[in-house]
Amino acid sequence: MDDRTLIARVLAGDPTAERALYDAHVDRVFRLVYRLAGDRDRAQDYTQEAFIRAFAKLAEFRGEAALSTWICSIAVSVALNGLRKVKRLRNREVELDVVEPVLPTVTRSTADPDLKQRLAQAIDDLPEGYRTVFVMHDVEGYTHEEIGRALGVQSGTSKAQLFRARAKLRTALADFARD
Amino acid sequence: MDDEPLSPELRDAAEAYHLPPDTPREEMWQRIQAARQAGAQPGGGEAPMPPQVRTLRARQPARLPLWLGIAAALALAFGLGRVSSRPDTRWAADAPRAVAGASGGSVAFRVAAVEHLGQAESFLTLFRASVRSGAGRDGLAAPTARQLLATNRLMLDSPASADPQLRLLLQDLELVLAGIAQISPARGSEDLDIITNDLDRSAVLLRLRAAVPAGGGSPARPGVL
Repeated sequence: MDDRTLIARVLAGDPTAERALYDAHVDRVFRLVYRLAGDRDRAQDYTQEAFIRAFAKLAEFRGEAALSTWICSIAVSVALNGLRKVKRLRNREVELDVVEPVLPTVTRSTADPDLKQRLAQAIDDLPEGYRTVFVMHDVEGYTHEEIGRALGVQSGTSKAQLFRARAKLRTALADFARD
Repeated sequence: MDDEPLSPELRDAAEAYHLPPDTPREEMWQRIQAARQAGAQPGGGEAPMPPQVRTLRARQPARLPLWLGIAAALALAFGLGRVSSRPDTRWAADAPRAVAGASGGSVAFRVAAVEHLGQAESFLTLFRASVRSGAGRDGLAAPTARQLLATNRLMLDSPASADPQLRLLLQDLELVLAGIAQISPARGSEDLDIITNDLDRSAVLLRLRAAVPAGGGSPARPGVL
């Protein structure tokens, strides 16, 4: 079933079509959101919220991009806003002493550093825009055109940010490469 | 731009970055359905109030003077804002769906409701994270929950809750906040199970997120960089 037929059936209130739309896109969305959030609970929350918004706004989908790209743009927006909110709260140190660190953290090890761990920390330390593009392109395999549409930027911007992200990662891991 | 791809070694390492587990399809689908159904409550009439909410609210002392005080303060603050700043109607565009439809409620109450729902959402997000990480049994979240509970009750009594959808959300939120406010360190895990079940069953967190503006990154404006 093509996107247009599926959307028409969802808008007509067909629950089977709703489930079919969800099944067709949920894996890709969850994977990407998990890569960005690094936490199962938050990845689930953001994925759920993305689909709730997608269903609510489906009538506004005009088909300029693929449905998968449109849903992905909602998911990335939801995830980044959620992560920003968590970051702001952590910075403010809300009076909730019971809370463990909620952003993904990787223990920095000075002795015998493991490449994956060091790279993960370096990726976490990237500016948000660089990290998002890097994760989408180099980790999840999105094209620059897809990234541009999902993030609402030109594909050239996506390329530039990937270039800078890689450069920063190489710098961060330079000592590792020399060892 | 002449860019050199990552070395194979780095690329392999990058693939391990936040490696996703299997997609919990059914679990998420059930929550999505619950949240959508809760959001599509019949528009007319007031939703029946759960017995636990009725009991909690009946126990509360008379709060009309405080209610009036806050209403007056909000109205004054809003009035001052109108006088001292240039006209700005952006709030109207950003008002959340659940709140925007409140009929007869003043702007001040709607603004206060948005603020309250945002705070509650942040609190519950952090609370749930702490529970999942094994903390949260010592009742240290209770004071914050009590503060939010007090505001929640004011919101329930205010014109902002004229919107049935918002009212239902506030009522479900009250149940959850009341549970957290009463966590006893002695029976912490039992209490937490009940609270997290309430959170999941009523999809309060999802509904809060849907009700609160996304801070400039809405799906209608997907640009995030």
